[in-house]
Order: sequence, then structure tokens, then C-alpha cells
Amino acid sequence: MAAETHCPYCALQCAMTLTPTDAAAAPAVQGAAPAAPVTVAGRDFPTNRGGLCKKGWTSAELLAAPSRLTSPLVRDADGVLRETTWDAALDLVAGRLRGIRSEHGADAVGVFGGGGLTNEKAYLLGKFARLALGTSRIDYNGRYCMSSAAAAGNRAFGIDRGLPFPLTDLDDSETILLLGTNVAETMPPFIGHLTGAQAAGGLVVVDPRRTATARLTDDGQGLHVQPAPGTDLMLLLGLAHVVIAERLVDDAYVSARTTGFAALRRSVAQWWPERVQSVTGVPAATIRAIARRLASGGRTYILTGRGVEQHVDGTDTATAAINLALLLGLPGRPGSGYGTLTGQGNGQGGREHGQKCDQLPGYRKITDPAARAHVARVWGVEPSEIPGPGLPAIELLGSLGRPDGVRALLVHGSNLVVSSPNVAEVRRGIERLDLLVVCDFVLSETAALADVVLPVLQWAEEEGTMTNLEGRVIRRRPALAPPPGARDELWLLHELASRLGSTARFDTDPEAVFEELRLASEGGIADYSGIDYALLDSGAEAFWPFPRGGEGSPRLFAERFHHEDGLARLVAVAPRTGARPAPSPDELTLVTGRLLEHYQSGAQTRRVPELLGAQPDARAAIHPATAARLGIADDEPVEVANERGTVRCRARLTTDIRPDAVFLPFHYGDEQAANLLTSDAVDPISSMPEFKTNLVRVTRLVEAGADS
Amino acid sequence: MSPLRIVLIGYGPVGARFVEELLPAVRGGAVALTVVAGEPVEAYNRVLVAEYAVGNADLDAMLVGDRETAEAAGAAILLGVRATRIDRGAHLVHLSTGEALPYDRLVLATGSRANVPTLDGVERPRRDLADLERHPDRLVARDDDLPAGVTALRDLDDAERVLAAVRGRRRIVVLGAGVLGLELALAAAHAGAQVCVVHHGPHPMPRNLDRGGGHVLRSALRRTGITVIAHSRAEAIGFRTDADGTRRFDMLVTADGKQVRGDLLVLSCGVSPRNELATLAGLRTAVGVVVGPDLRSWSDPDVFAIGDCAQVVERTDETAGRRILPGAPSGLIGPGWRQAEHLAARFAAEAAEPAIGSTVAPLPPERDAIVMLKAEHVDVVAVGDVSADPWDDDALSPRRRVAQWADPEHLRYVKMVTEDGILTGFASVGMPRTAAELTLLFERRAELPADRSLLLRFDGPDDDPSANADAFAPEATVCWCNGVTVGRIHESAACGNTTVECVGRDTRAGTGCGGCRGRIAEVLARAAEADGAPSLTA
Repeated sequence: MAAETHCPYCALQCAMTLTPTDAAAAPAVQGAAPAAPVTVAGRDFPTNRGGLCKKGWTSAELLAAPSRLTSPLVRDADGVLRETTWDAALDLVAGRLRGIRSEHGADAVGVFGGGGLTNEKAYLLGKFARLALGTSRIDYNGRYCMSSAAAAGNRAFGIDRGLPFPLTDLDDSETILLLGTNVAETMPPFIGHLTGAQAAGGLVVVDPRRTATARLTDDGQGLHVQPAPGTDLMLLLGLAHVVIAERLVDDAYVSARTTGFAALRRSVAQWWPERVQSVTGVPAATIRAIARRLASGGRTYILTGRGVEQHVDGTDTATAAINLALLLGLPGRPGSGYGTLTGQGNGQGGREHGQKCDQLPGYRKITDPAARAHVARVWGVEPSEIPGPGLPAIELLGSLGRPDGVRALLVHGSNLVVSSPNVAEVRRGIERLDLLVVCDFVLSETAALADVVLPVLQWAEEEGTMTNLEGRVIRRRPALAPPPGARDELWLLHELASRLGSTARFDTDPEAVFEELRLASEGGIADYSGIDYALLDSGAEAFWPFPRGGEGSPRLFAERFHHEDGLARLVAVAPRTGARPAPSPDELTLVTGRLLEHYQSGAQTRRVPELLGAQPDARAAIHPATAARLGIADDEPVEVANERGTVRCRARLTTDIRPDAVFLPFHYGDEQAANLLTSDAVDPISSMPEFKTNLVRVTRLVEAGADS
Repeated sequence: MSPLRIVLIGYGPVGARFVEELLPAVRGGAVALTVVAGEPVEAYNRVLVAEYAVGNADLDAMLVGDRETAEAAGAAILLGVRATRIDRGAHLVHLSTGEALPYDRLVLATGSRANVPTLDGVERPRRDLADLERHPDRLVARDDDLPAGVTALRDLDDAERVLAAVRGRRRIVVLGAGVLGLELALAAAHAGAQVCVVHHGPHPMPRNLDRGGGHVLRSALRRTGITVIAHSRAEAIGFRTDADGTRRFDMLVTADGKQVRGDLLVLSCGVSPRNELATLAGLRTAVGVVVGPDLRSWSDPDVFAIGDCAQVVERTDETAGRRILPGAPSGLIGPGWRQAEHLAARFAAEAAEPAIGSTVAPLPPERDAIVMLKAEHVDVVAVGDVSADPWDDDALSPRRRVAQWADPEHLRYVKMVTEDGILTGFASVGMPRTAAELTLLFERRAELPADRSLLLRFDGPDDDPSANADAFAPEATVCWCNGVTVGRIHESAACGNTTVECVGRDTRAGTGCGGCRGRIAEVLARAAEADGAPSLTA
């Protein structure tokens, strides 16, 4: 049977049809890579229109990969991970968790989730943490992706849905400002939606690197500006300054639909374009030209990505982008708007239903008594039984093995010793733990450190829902049976909960879990109560909020914003002095990011031969002029180092990067992990770490014994 | 503990920043702040006065002070009230209202006023101690009256006069070719006025540009329609009498006899600190109010100065004995804002814990300030000493190197001066990307690339590395979604895949967003042509 499902990777959630092949039954030939048990075909869908990128086309290869885990593993007395039975593994985990909990309290057990989990798993994981474990200590890797944009969206609009409009709305726009996002490599089918703006000469890409996306502006199709890393906020303040100074503000919109204009105007008065030029490296004339283009009245969008959000001032930077959009009257205007591009497959749904430390299902605040009462009713417990707010990811990881910290950690859908900032410190924290349990389908770098590894299902084997970057709820459907030994995380949570003596309900059927999620989200900001599997299976479009008996919401903000008074908030923001140290003459600014061929920590894509073959290892991208100064030739081994750690990899010389920066992809582990170099300093509002402007020194690596 | 009483005189952008930074301490009750604002309007950004003067900016968009928030926090802001005298012995500031304010700490942020040059026909009062004591009403905290048709460009009233002339498409004569004068000249010309710039140096912006840069700038000015008269010292003003009997500006007369006629004369001959309150109070002044690196007056430990009126000189045995002191206020907003932040932090610390205040580290010395001409079509950025030439052999600076690019025909010029590879100064005309990058390199004290021409390329068409790359080279990417190169398509075609669909099935090229299908067809057509085989895709 063929299954109509969606890609396992990014938030575009391209539709694909998986058709089982004979290989699914036939045994693998000795020595040869096993054939994929399903074939992949693109399927028509608004985001991908039948197309897929390289990652999607090769996604099935991992299903039968020899590296696939099919048995629980437990570390034995010799420190070796050995196969065991599910009962033995689960009994062990439950026993250890009970012991740690009774000795150190419930908050000594932590849970680390992921933005790739289905809505059902994300929801049940949050419930499991609060009720079965009784811990407040749950957070997830979305803290590294969407938290700044989410905080900014909530602050300005009272709601956080990445794109408050369907992606196809971009198709016939005339101007699109892309800030810090390289969609041509990270979600390639997206660029099909940029062609309208390109044809109108209005694609403006802001990126310190001349990325594949930046090249889409070539030949008069738009403009690429290359601010110095870490200066996006000032650039946005300068754009707002020009919009106000040149009277390009949509006055009627600003007075009818926003508050805070006077303070905003005052805050940007001091960011005239020449001043902005002196800190960003973007010429004043360019700043004026962009502001005028954005204000020229056509169909105009402003979109942000991790490049401007993954900073210690990420929330303020996203806020500055929203302020600009509001000044121009874009949000809610047909054919215009502001959005942030969610990255992980279920990065949107994953941040709505209780994996965040301060949140309950339906995007409810865990500190709000009414929200607690509602969720407690659905869960059949007293509100007092739901723990309070926990710690955001970096604080959670910082507490590992510390007095009063987390002593046992359960990891779901995350490879945190590759994806977390300052990973050397995270590895040390993991060493201090009494117990690390990792649920994954391959032995990721994190799983390799675990005491217990529990093998779980892949996307093509499971049922559930995902919420893509548009806030569109879609179905994930199984195309084949899982290999014997691998188990669904819903089942696993159910089993653990009953071994822990929890009386709360942990369904193993995804549809039953979704039905509960509907009730739990009802009346919340992210209200799913009007959506069920039958509706989704009918092919109907379902954008949240979708209240029971009502309709979905493809486009938000046409009438009002989601604050009580219906108005959007213009929030004056300013660069904080000392937010980031200035580079000394021999330092470069490290920018981390993605490659076309790999996804997140690379745990999956590095195990797909075609993808690994194309990008087998990390390369540090350096400008030839900088390389010449440092005596580095193309392809030579280099060390990229700072006080936190050292990455050893080969150099790639390219004029696509600014001479004052170096780029490293973050998809690799061990000594190539870019996050050995990143700081765990965080944004004060969103707790987003600083991934994009860490200072490093690059040196040519002279191998021991080598001449020269 | 009673709050620390701080009185601030002056509410320009530097004063407003000081207030803003001090608000937490005011809100917390540790500091009682009173601001004697002088001007009747809220603090506004003077950097934009030229824009305002040609109708490009509204006052609303220039306001930087948040008076309401400051007042809500408990600060008193006295708009339109002037300070007339400081009684240091009694720790009192006397006001134009007749009242007197007591203070524990007094901060002068009185800014500067436009210089009025010596011109026959314009009265130019002195402000030495004797004159100030004789005419305090006329000279303290007041600017000088200028004849009708003559204005400086410093405050909103000046700007209104200029705006009227611009709107009336009048002839505007600008005396002085510094940054501010040129900004006004360019903005006014852009807005449709007839503009003539008169200056006595050899080229515009003589303090910032070398000869080459200055000449390119002059050409650029002339190309915008501005008349530039160099080497001309203004000597006198000629007047005409209007129908209503007003004597107004008619012409500027230069030392060599040129008569430059116009409707409005804008004096742009630099600024001088407003020192008169300090002078009357017996505080040490030089060009400005003399303060140490901690911004405290040399003469009185309870008096401080920031911004355009403050001249920072470290007091040493050597400097203390000198009659003429080095340096001068920078006249730029950046250093002023840093001083405001620093002093506010110091007072906040002192108010919380009196012992701490004196241990706050002094502000590090400012580097040379980068000067940028704010204008629509003329781009000038300069900093540092750029007088050296590439061929100079200066025994005093053996490690100095100069690189230069001049293309006067296309109005482009850049000179970079380095010491041990580190940029110590540069001048850039007509090369905005290069200028922006040089600015960053200067601010960061970074080493320039050994190949200086890299910096020129930012403003050239080959700044785009893809533009000079062969789009049909084997390694060029065709399909971004699937990372398929021209070479891979050639291989596929050689194996018999000669249509876009076949290539797509074989390589996945074109199976993502589909945007590259046209280019795949083109690659196939070229390959077929090269083979001499008939193309199936043409």
C-alpha cells in the first residue's frame, strides 16, 4: 500500500508518497547497502508543488540502514552498550528513575524533547514529564531555533504562528525582505515561492554570507546586503528610522491597529543611516533604498530566519523586524505580512503543546491559573499536581549533575551533544549524570553516551500529525511496519508511566492522543479542538487556531491582533552595550549554519550515503584574502579555536563570506562540532543561545611531524 | 538616606541620553534629578537639522528625549527655563524664572553654538569674563542676533529660515565647506534651491580630506549643480532694503573682491562650546569646559561636563601648568553619548554606595572620529590623518604605508593609510561599500588585507563573485534543491538522458522547486550543440 505522507525533515513538510518495494521483504545482500524498502515520490502540496530536495528524495535510505537500532541497549559493567529486552530496559529505567526521584526529588529528573516529534508525541511527552515524573524540568531543542521569534511574536501580536498566512501568498508578491535565512539550501522548494518578487526585482536578502539564497537576487532580481555579523538589529533600526524620517509610515494603520508608536519613533531617531552604516558596513544609500522599496506600496513581506534570531539579542532583533512591518502596515494586509520561517519538521507544533518549560498544551502559560485548571481537568488531576515552570534548555543542561540539579535525563528526538551551544560543557554535564536515557533510531553522538538507548520509529513507520511552518496541521501516515525491536514513543511513554505507578492516561494510539490534545488545547491560543483525523484525511486544509465547530485560520490579523485590545504592540528596542565583545584584530566572527545535504545535527543525513558523499565533513569557509593573511590554502587542515574549544577541519576558500568572518556548518560531531565554539550566553527574554557571532582564531593546522 | 540631588543644564541629545540612563536610579529614589532644558522643545537629534531644514524630516521624527517617561519616573524637566548663574559656593543654580535650584552634583551639557565669523556688517560679541559680567542677560545662554537673511544652522529656528528659502527656491549662499555646510548645500540643491558654497581653503572638507579626495568631492558637488568658490575669504556682507524697510542680506563680499549675491546666507563656520556659565562661575575653561577623563571639572569636584561643551584633558603636573590646553570637544554625537552613559552609571553607583562612585574607571580616550557626509548622491567618509602620499619617505613614520585609488572622471577616490598594516586613516569619495567596510575595519583596528584592491572591488561589478563565474562551467550548480551541477547533467546526457524529464529522473535536477528546468534545457542544448547532435530540447 502506498502512503501519502510528508518528508521527515524540515518545516516545509513537502508532501511525498511512499510506496513499499520488494526490498521490504527481501533480505539484504551480503556486503551491499540494503535497498530502501519504500520508493519516494513527490506529491502535489502547496509548499512543494510535487518537488522534493535531495534530502527528501533520499530520505527512505535510512529506513533499512545497517546503523538502524532495533534493540534496546544498556551500558554494562564494562561500560559497553549491550542489547537487551524491552522489559529489562524499561524496568531498569523506571527503577532508576524512582530511586533518583525518592532520593533527590522529582525535579532531579529532566526531559529534553525535540521539534521533530509529532504533535502527539510532543504533547504526551509534556504530560509524561508533569504527571508521570512530576518534574518541572522539561525543555526542548526548539529553544535553539524558534524561541526568539516566538517571544517577539507573542510580545507584538499576542500569538506565535511562524507564518500567519499560507506560503503560496508569497507567490505574487513584489517585494520580499529575507533576513538571515538561506532557504535555497535549508528548504530548497521554498524558493519556488520567491519567483514573483524576483521577477519584480524585489527580493532583498540580508546575510553576511553570499549564500545560494543571496544569489537569487543576481541579475536585477533584487539586492543582497552583507552586514557584519551581529549587526542586524542596528540595520533594522536604521530601516525604521528612514521609514519614519521620510514619512513612509502607514499612519492610518499605525494609529488604528498598534500602540507604542511614540516610544518607537523616539528610539529609532538616533539610528540615522550614516550611523547605521558605521556599525553594519551597509552603505547609507542602500539602507534608504531598501526602506523606500519596502514602503513602495506593493505586495510586501518581511521574513526572518535563525540568522537574525539566534543571538543574545535575538528577541529584540525579531521585534525590530516586526516593528518595521507594522510601521509599513504589512501584517494583516492582504498580500503582505511578516513571518518567521520555522526550521524543524514540527518546530511549530512542537512549541505549542507542552514541551516548553513554561507552557501547557494549546500554547497556554503554565503560570496562568485558568490554564492550569483547564489542563488539569482534561488530565483528570488537581491543578496543584501540575508542577510550575521549569528551566529553559541552557539552564536545564547547566544543572546536569549539579547539587539540586538534574541527575537523570530522558532525551527524545534530539542530539544535544552536537546541537547545543558550548557542547564541551554539555558533555561534561552528561558525564556528571546518574542516568542518561536516549530515545533514537540511530546511535547518535548523544545516544552513544547514554546508559540506556531505546530504539524508536522513523517517520515512514508511524502515524500522527505535524504542524508545518504555516501553522497547517497535516497527517503523517505509515508506509511500512517498523522493524522488530523498534517501538513507538507513545507506547514507550505508556509503559514507563505505568512502571512509575502513574494513574494518568497515556494512550498508545496516536488518534486517541490527538483527541486528548484537542481537548487540552481547546480555548488556548493554539486551539486544535476543531481538527480531527477524519477532517485531515478528507484533504481539508486545517490551519490553527481551529476552534471546535468553527473554521481554521489560514490568515491571521486581518481584523485584529491577539492581545486583548486587538492591537499590535510596537516595542522600542535598542542594542545593549556590551551585548557582544568586539573582535580583536586577529579574531574572526564565527557564523554557524546549514548545508543543503544535511539536517540538524546530521544524525540522520550523515547516515545517508549519497548525502554524506556530497558533504563528508565540515569545511570552514574563509575569504581568500583572510586565508592569504593566515597562510591557509584551499582544502588545507585548519584549527578554529577559542577559549571554549577547538574544531579541526579543512578550509574552504570562498569569496561568498565576508573577510572578517568564518562559516562552519553545525551538522557534524566530535572534533568537527561547530558548537564546541559557541557560547551558552542567552537572550534574556527567550533564552536563545548565541550561535552566530562567536569570536574565534583560525590557524593552519601543521600536523605533527610534518615539515614547514 | 536622602537622594543625591543632580541638576543637569542642557537637554540636547546628550543631556537626554544622560537622563535616560539615570532613570532607574531616579525611579528607585536614590537620585533626585532636575533638568534645566533651555530650549522650549524636547530634546531632538541635531544631526538631522539639515534634513529638517530642507523639509525631509519632521520634528516628531527627530525627538530623542522621552520627557513623559522621565517625569513619570520622578525627574523634573524645566522646558523653556534657562540657567543664568551658578553659585558654586552655595551649590545653587539660578534660573531665568528667578528661582534657584540646590544641587549636590551639577552636570553641564550646554552644547555649542555656531561660530559667527568676522564679517563687516555682522555684530560679533565676545564672551570673555569682563563682557559676560557686564551683559549677562544678552550673552549667557543666548545666541547672537544675526541680520535678516543671515542664519547659522544649529537649531530649529535656523532650520525654519533655511526651509523658507528652500521652499521659495531662493538663492542660498553657504559660507564654509565643512561637513555640515556641505550637507546643507547638497540637501538644499536636491530640494531645488540654487546653492553656492564659498570657502577659503583649496578644496571642500579640508580638515578631513587630502587634496585628491577634496578635488573629487568638488567635482561631485559641481555635478549636482552646486557652485563652489574656493580660495575665498569672506570679508563683508552687503545689504539691500526690502519694501517694508528691513535691511537684509544681499551679497557676500570676499577679500579678493568677488560679490556673491543671494537671498539667504548660511554661516557654517564650525561651532564653539557654550562656556559662559562655566566662565562666569570661575570654572577652568579652554576651548570648552575643562574636565578630566572622569568628566569632572578641574576646578570643582561637584561639577561635571559632557558632550559638546566638555573638553577632556587629563590633569597632570605638565598640563596643569599650561595656559593653552590640548584638544577640543569633538562636536560629534557618539562620544557625547558615551560620556552621558558613563557619567550616569557613575552617579547611579555613587548614589547607591557613596564609596563606589569614586572608584569607577574613567572613560577610555576617544579615537579619531569618523566623519561621514550625509547626502543622497555624494558619498564621503573620512577619518584620521590622510595627508601622507604613497611616495612619501617619512623617517618619523617608517612603518606607515599609503594606498590610493583615484578615478576623478567617475568621481571615485579612496586613500588608505596604515601603520603596521592597521588602518590609521582613510578618505573615501564615491565608493560607498568600500567606505562602509573601511569604517568597520577602522573601528575594529583590524589589519587590512595585503591586497588592498580587495576593498575597491566591493564597489565594482565583480563584487558579485557569481557574475564573473561561468554559469555553464562544469562545477556550476544548476539545481539548488538537489545540488546538481552542469557537469552532472553532462554526464547524464552522455548516458542518453537528453530531455529535462530524463535528466530529472536520473539526477533529480529540476525535481525540487522546478525553477531550474529552463537552465537544464539550456545546458542540454549547449551540450547537444557541442556534440553536433540534433537537440531534442530546443
